[in-house]
This record gives sequence, structure tokens and C-alpha cells, in this order.
Amino acid sequence: MRLGALPAGLRETAANRPGQAQPVPTRDIPLRPWVKMGTFAFFAVMLLTAAWEWNARANIGLRTGDLDDSPQAWAEARRAADDAQVAIVGDSRILFDTDQARFEALTGVRPIQVAHVGTDARALLEHFANDPQFHGLLIVGMADTMYFGMPAIGLGGTAIHNYSKSDKPSQLTGMWIDRWLQKHLAFMDSDYRLSRWAPRFDNGWRKGADSPYEDVWKLAEVSPGRQYVMWSRIETDSYLQAHARHAWNGFKGPPIPASVADKVIARSAEAVRRIRARGGEVIFIRPPSAQQLRVNEQRRITKALGWDRLLVGANANGIHADELAQAQMLVLPEWSHLSGKCATVFTDAYVRRLVQLTPRLKLRPDAPPLLSRSDCVSH
Amino acid sequence: MIFNSLTFLVFFALVMALHYAPFFSWHQKKINLLIASYLFYAAWNPPFVILLWVSTVVDWWAAQWMVRAKSQHTRRAWMVTSLVVNLGMLGYFKYGGFLLENFVSIAASVGIVYQPPGWDIVLPVGISFYTFATLSYTLDVYLRRSAPAGSFLNYALFVTFFPHLVAGPIMRPTELVPQFEVPRRANLNQIFFGLALLTLGLFQKVVLADGFLSPVVEAVYDEHDKIPGMLDSWVATFAFAGQIFCDFAGYSTSAIGVALCLGFAMPDNFRFPYGSVGFSDFWRRWHITLSSWLRDYLYIPLGGNRHGAGRTYMALMGTMLLGGLWHGASWTFVVWGGLHGLYLSAERWLKARFKEFTPGRATLAGLALLTFLLVNITWVFFRAKTFGSAGVVLKGMAGLQVKPEPLIAAGPMIIAVAIVCAIFGIHLAMRNTTLEAVIERTPPVAIAGMWTMLLFAVIIEQGQGSAFIYFAF
Repeated sequence: MRLGALPAGLRETAANRPGQAQPVPTRDIPLRPWVKMGTFAFFAVMLLTAAWEWNARANIGLRTGDLDDSPQAWAEARRAADDAQVAIVGDSRILFDTDQARFEALTGVRPIQVAHVGTDARALLEHFANDPQFHGLLIVGMADTMYFGMPAIGLGGTAIHNYSKSDKPSQLTGMWIDRWLQKHLAFMDSDYRLSRWAPRFDNGWRKGADSPYEDVWKLAEVSPGRQYVMWSRIETDSYLQAHARHAWNGFKGPPIPASVADKVIARSAEAVRRIRARGGEVIFIRPPSAQQLRVNEQRRITKALGWDRLLVGANANGIHADELAQAQMLVLPEWSHLSGKCATVFTDAYVRRLVQLTPRLKLRPDAPPLLSRSDCVSH
Repeated sequence: MIFNSLTFLVFFALVMALHYAPFFSWHQKKINLLIASYLFYAAWNPPFVILLWVSTVVDWWAAQWMVRAKSQHTRRAWMVTSLVVNLGMLGYFKYGGFLLENFVSIAASVGIVYQPPGWDIVLPVGISFYTFATLSYTLDVYLRRSAPAGSFLNYALFVTFFPHLVAGPIMRPTELVPQFEVPRRANLNQIFFGLALLTLGLFQKVVLADGFLSPVVEAVYDEHDKIPGMLDSWVATFAFAGQIFCDFAGYSTSAIGVALCLGFAMPDNFRFPYGSVGFSDFWRRWHITLSSWLRDYLYIPLGGNRHGAGRTYMALMGTMLLGGLWHGASWTFVVWGGLHGLYLSAERWLKARFKEFTPGRATLAGLALLTFLLVNITWVFFRAKTFGSAGVVLKGMAGLQVKPEPLIAAGPMIIAVAIVCAIFGIHLAMRNTTLEAVIERTPPVAIAGMWTMLLFAVIIEQGQGSAFIYFAF
């Protein structure tokens, strides 16, 4: 090591010394007050980070303890599901609309949440069908257009693909440290990373290209066990609510051909058969969507063509939101997912129906009383 | 373990604490570093530590027996043993699937239908890097460029020393083993400068490469349904040029900074490569430790420039093709290397043809821009997963696509272009100097302010702990 930088361009590298043993490298330490500069940078960064944290809490509305979901967190849940009595797979609707604590309060069983945002539940159903270890009850939550619109496998497919690569020691320790930090720092939210937040100035400048404005922004807060709850600002902030609705683009798209739906049903039936063959059980659930989306979803695939034929084809039980009396007219702030409070009401409704459909779950004698729409909708 | 992870920060703090603990002898500190390096490697995939041990032990004994050998024949036998074991492991894990795939294709082309079982072998992280590092030990001893290491501990630590283990710089034993022979202890200036370099490396990786450039590249290169036009194809390729530099140079800068904090010097691996004028200049600035390794152990043994023009061109092409294959088991990497071989050959021919030509400043800048553009053409083959998708992007760059669709939004495009222009401008401006020389001329307040902003950007970007691109090599 040498104090002071060499005159410009004079430090040699291996490129200047062909065909010989390379000597111990030279590293120049520029003549600067490094300790003072480093100390200044440390305190300045502390100050800026504190200001950023304040901004995250006060202006953005982020809170400590809101854990990011991650491939490692999904893989952790997936591993836990192997021995689970009840596991939930599906897309973001069942992820947001299931209150695990309510489920447990009613049945004494806490389900393992393995659903994934932006996915096709069939991919996850088949993943469980291929896993000989799973013998429990599998709840398959679905949004019709995602489920029947093969080959839209989406992010769940990526999660499955990366599953076996998500248990490296360094990944697990990284996840634990990250969770610990997120319990104390609100700004550590992947939806408000610099590179996700900065390009949002572009609200569609280039026609035809998906701008950052078209992305789905933060919608949920996540607690341990991958408990998703609608982010409170989506319920209260009209700009964020309007943006979230815009991002769904009304779930528009071309109609799903019956032949495609048939293939999905056949594959689902086979997956259900395989799970049952080793003692497991599968029940489908269709959480609600707002009328503004429902009308487009129905245009793409009707309930009769999709949901009804799936239950017949797979010879399986199902719970459709339409059939749950106490779960009608619930609040869906951005039209696709229930508000935090209404998710509890919906869970209460579907779990009470669930225990009638399967002997694997029973209502606890000390189960809390029935909830209704008035428990989550203020008048 | 990767540098841009929270796990590494904890790991590094512990390593520093142990390294500067007053109650350990130098011998014990080296053992601590060795154990830490194995933990660093095992944190990704514990069983593959065995490969490191095999490589370490075989090459140690091969070199020992080489110097004890009485005949050249025996010396060569030990050198070949080292080559077979190291290249055998590399071949099995990295190229096994590729070779099998090509064998099946060739068999099919002559009418033989052969369906082998799937080659489901996980690639050990950094195997290409430590294989080349440890091979240089036996090759240097065989070529009598250096004596074998005097201590097994020093040699084992050279192979596994965690800052360079998984993604370089590819170190030679003569660069590192002597540093283990005497106690190393960085002073506060070295430690703080090392931390500044670590910050710079993390900024390049976390903020620039992963945060802002990678999504722009993916929008075009990972798009399968839409056709990119000229603007999107060029911007995505420029963005990849920036991404691959920030990713890899970011790793090297972090590695140099980490080693500096521990009191060790590692060689430069990048020297403002996008400021290169010509391709021989580019390869003196890009991944210097690999290009010099290939030159010393492949190009020169193949004849180098000592046996006439024809042989020189053959050696050049052979070296670059194998250099391409080193980066990945795919023909697209071979084409990438081949293109660089062609560029180098053409440049060599032109230099011989126009010996008297002395470019002025404007011509130099123009040639640098031309070099940068031609390097970008090669990046298409480096990034595209198939020749089909490389063809789509190249056709887009040539403006030949019919009905292309816009793929990159304006905001990310503006940011990516600004970053790449800044990288190109900085490289051009600093091509004849070093970072250290520039820092020494910069007021401390400006350096501290810059350091603050880089570190703050790394913190608020958070990062997703994605692996460095070169880990896969």
C-alpha cells in the first residue's frame, strides 16, 4: 500500500506485464482526510435516513412492522405447507381476503398462506398435486379470468420455479435480518424503493409503452405469516385509490374460449384427483370483486362456463362469494380486494360454510359470533 | 453470500472484529479468515465447499510434486493432473449439459434419436473464477514463473480468500500469497478508503445496475410477444452495457474495498473501459484479470504473435472464442467472444496497414464512440438467451423490424440513457487517470458529500439481494 495516488495513468496492471508472474498489486490511498470525511458521511447519512424515515411515516403512511413479501417468505410458507392441516393457494384475492386470525378463532387451525399475487391459482394447485408430502386440505382461491385464462401462470410460476433455490443459508439469514429491520424502520418497503418511486413522474408519456404509472403500486400491508391486509391509504386516499383502480384496467380482455376453459378444468380435475388419492382434499373459493370488474370478468368467462363447470368437472366443492349471504355488498376499495375489516367478515362467512363442506374442520365451541356486513361497513 | 446483502454486512462486521482483535496471532487470524471464507462460500450452497477443498488439495500437491520431480515428463504429468481435475470439475458442472445438448443435436442431424435423462446439475457459484485462480498456481510453477507457496495455510487462503472467491478479480498466487506471509493491518485511512470503495461498488450494483438499468434491459430482452423498434433496441442494449459494467465493476470495486479494509491489496479489474479507443485498449481495461489470464495461459502458449501473422490471428480467435465460452455454456457466448476476436484481428490488421496514422483529439473521441457502439453489438449476444432473440434485437437496432411496438416507457428510458451517457462521459474523461488521482484533486467536502449521497441512495434503494451477473460464470 502506498500513501498518495500515483501520477495520472502510471499505476500498472496485469495488462502491462505479459507472460510473467504478477507482483503484489499496488493500491494507492489518496491523500485526503478519510477519517473526517467518513465520519461526516456517516452522520450525514444518519440524518438523511432519519428524515427519510420521518417522511415515510408522516407523509407516505408507511408503518413499522409492515413486512415485505418476498420469494424467501413465500418459499418459507410453502415448506411449512407440506405438513399443514390447511393450506391456501391462489391469487391475490384470497391472499387479501383471508384473515388468518379469524380462521383460527373459528376453527382452531391457522391456515398456511401460500397464495401469490399476480398468479394463476391452477399453477399452485398443480404444484401441490405434484408434492407427495401434502395430505391436508387445500383451499384454492381464484379470480376467474386469471384461473381460466391459460397460459397466464404469472408470478406464482416464477415462485415455484425458484422454490428449490430459495432456501440458501444466506437467503434465510438475509430474510431474518430484513424482517428485524422492517419491524423498526417504516421506509423499508419495496414499493417505495428509490428506483420504483423515482420513475413515477412519467404518467404515460410514451404511448403504447407501459409506464410506471400503469404498474400496481403498494396495495397491502403484510404481517407475519404472509397475512396481507389492504393498505389503509388505499381506503382513504382518493388519488391512490383511483390509481389502483386504473392499474387493473377493468380486468378487460378477450373472451376465454370454451376449449381453453375445458383444458384448465381437465388439468384441475387431475390435480384434485391426485391430491385426493393420497388423502388430501381440495375446495375452491371465489372471493368477491366489485361490479365494475365483475361485468368485464363475466364477459370474458361466465360463472356458468367457468366456475360451475369446474366444480362439476373436478367433482369438488366450492364456495362462491355470491352464495354467502353475509358477504354481499362488502367494501372493495380498489374493486378487486376487500378492505381490511371486510376481509375478516368474508373469512368469517366462508369458514362457516367451509366447515359444512369438509369434516377436516370443525367450528370451535367457543368460536366468536357471526359477523355481518355491518361489522365492516360504516353507515 | 453476496456483497449487496444484509447477511454480508453482519458477516463483514464480524470478520473485521476478529481480524483486528488484539488477542489473536497472525497465524490464528489467517485461520479465522480461512474459516470465514468457507462460510462465505457455504452460505450459498454448503456441499460445494467440497469442490473448493478438492481443487485446493490437488493443486497444492501437484505443485509440490512438480518441484520435486526429476524429469520434465513427471513435471508435465503433474501439471496435466491439475488441469484434468480442475477443468474436469468445471466441464462437468458448467459444460456437461451444454455438451450433452450438442451431442443430442448432432446425433439427431445424422438420424440417431437419443433422449438422455435431464442434466439437472446446479452450477457451483464462481467455479470459473476459482478454477482459473488455482490453475494459475500450478501453471506458474510448471512454467517456472514462481515457486510453490511455502505454507499450505497461505495457499488455501489464496484460493478461498472471500473478497475474490466467487467473482474475481482473478488473482494469481504471486499477487496474494506473499501478502499472507507477513501480518497485515490496515490503518484508519485505508479502512475508510476501503469503505468508500465498498460504497461506490454497492451504489453501482444496487442502485444503477439492479435498480434503474436492469428493468429497461428486461423490457426488451425478456419480452417474447412484442417486437422492439430501433429506439427500444438501442436503448436496451446501451442499458445492458451500463448494467453489466456497473454489476461487474461494482463487484470488483466492492471486493477491492473489502480487502483493503482487511489490509490486503487486490489488483484493478476495470479501468474506465468505455473510454477505450480500439479493442486491444478495451481488453486492457475490461475484466483485466481475466484478459491477462487468457493472454498468459492461452494466447501466449498458442503462439501469441511470435510465429507470423496467420498464427497470431488464429491464436487471437482461439483465445477469444474460449474466452467467450468461459462466460457461459452457450453458443451465444461463443459468438460474443468470436466477434471480439474479429474486432481485435481487424484492428491489428488496420494498425499494421496505417502505421503512420496519428489521430487528433476529435478523431480519438470518434474512435472511442465507434468502439463503444461496436462493443454494444457484441453485448446483444451476451445478453440474449437465444440467437432468435439476439436476431430480433439486432434487426430492431438496424431499423428493419416491421410494425415494432414501444416497449420502454419514457421515464425509465430517460433515466437509463442519462446513466449510460454519464458512464460513457466519465470513462472518456478519466481514461488516462485513476480514481485515486481524481479523488486526490477533489476537495474533501465534495468527496464527503458524494460519499453521503451514494450511501444514502444505496440505503433508500434497499435492494433485493439479487446475485451479481458474473456469479453465474
